[in-house]
Amino acid sequence: MFSKSRQPKIAIISIILIAGAFVFFVASYLVDSAYSTYLMVGGLALLIASWAVYFFMGKPDKSKQETPENVITVIGCKGCDFREERAFATGDYIFKEVGPCKKCQGVSYIRAIYSVTPKKE
Amino acid sequence: MTPIGQIFGSGDVNSILFNVILYIGMFAFILMFNQRMQTLTYQRNAEKAVARLEEISNKSREGVLNSMKPFAEGAVDTRAAVNNFLEFFTIEPVSVDPFGVLTRLEHLLDNRRDRSKLFVTQIAPKAGKTEAANIEDILEAAAAVNFIFKVVRHYLLLAKKTKSLMIFVQLDMQLPLIMKQAEAYYSAQKTFAAGKPIGDGLGPLVASKLMMGQPKIAIADEVVYSEVDILKRKVYVLKAEGPGGVVGKPGEAVKQLVENLGGKVNRIFMVDAGLKLEGENTGEVAEGVGAAIGDPGPEKFKIEDVATKYKIPIDAVICKMGLEEALTTIRKEIVESSDVIVEKIKKAIAERTKEGDIIIVAGIGNTMGVGQ
Repeated sequence: MFSKSRQPKIAIISIILIAGAFVFFVASYLVDSAYSTYLMVGGLALLIASWAVYFFMGKPDKSKQETPENVITVIGCKGCDFREERAFATGDYIFKEVGPCKKCQGVSYIRAIYSVTPKKE
Repeated sequence: MTPIGQIFGSGDVNSILFNVILYIGMFAFILMFNQRMQTLTYQRNAEKAVARLEEISNKSREGVLNSMKPFAEGAVDTRAAVNNFLEFFTIEPVSVDPFGVLTRLEHLLDNRRDRSKLFVTQIAPKAGKTEAANIEDILEAAAAVNFIFKVVRHYLLLAKKTKSLMIFVQLDMQLPLIMKQAEAYYSAQKTFAAGKPIGDGLGPLVASKLMMGQPKIAIADEVVYSEVDILKRKVYVLKAEGPGGVVGKPGEAVKQLVENLGGKVNRIFMVDAGLKLEGENTGEVAEGVGAAIGDPGPEKFKIEDVATKYKIPIDAVICKMGLEEALTTIRKEIVESSDVIVEKIKKAIAERTKEGDIIIVAGIGNTMGVGQ
């Protein structure tokens, strides 16, 4: 598996090399026979290079980037419409009571916890 | 130009000879090494996948150790114990004679769960109820990643040993789905370690919203219920007991509730997370009939059995999400859907039942990070 960012680049390089090989093969029939052999060998070399690029350049995804997720804790109040958002902290859970409400001194609790990490394709 | 000249060129003898050798070489190469080249390409893909699987398997193992470390006691060799437990297996009951297979399966699943609980208690004795439940989930996820890694590596080595193109091709074709699943379990493990609510917790979240402020009564294994009045109907809302990462035995709880009420239940509503198909949106809500529960069988069977016995209709409400979304931190769309589902259930209660009816609402799923 190539990493997502490398995969298109490798594919493009491979395609360019194949196109180059095709041009060499066509040219070998158009130019003087003295050069046609060299052009064919060159075309063949490009074809092998194209395969080699695909085969050898895709290194294992050892260092795959792990995007940190953004988790939000929403605090609400049982007595009023108070709402506050903060970053998730270890020990948070939904419906946990978190002390008096900043607005009405009622009981505030964690209304929701959710992730807003961009969706992976 | 002669036909030979057209094929091999019409220059000097050396040039013709070179062309002849080149053509023969090309044909020989294609005939002899074509399959080998294909094999090497498939092998390379499989090797890369195995390298990634090995990496996440090792990281998962470290994740288990890190989650246990704060609750462990000094003398215990945690690493050796965890390595040993990751190889733990469960043999499925014989199904050639299907009679009683679900009872036997439930027995084995109970055995497995008891062993897992015992292991966590032994290795991390200082862990509280919630932490212990979360560590159990972390262990399960690490075991899943470890198992996938070992199976894929097995087929890679088998294919290399036998030089079988067919095994390489089959492995390569399945790798995208296998990797997706492995990455989902790996991501899940990180979520479990932090004790964050997961997408699969939608059912318990909906149940918690319905039972909010009411006294909770324990029923069955790790399941609680509350008696709620909704539109003058008596509604029994049940969910796994949070906020630790447990699913409990909701099937047993529904069965016990129905039996305790003498079968006088007019309707059962089940809320669960449902796997979406590609192209569907996360958080989409769908309604249907049947026991919405994704257990291996015993819990679902109990609900279907008791509902059939007393002719109780079962309504199912699911919220769609992908496997990774179900196993990782609950997404905003899913949390928003929980409010939609609460309203849908109230509307369904109003439309499909009458005043004085008795209803059960079961919120199915892993209640990690969701209290009540």
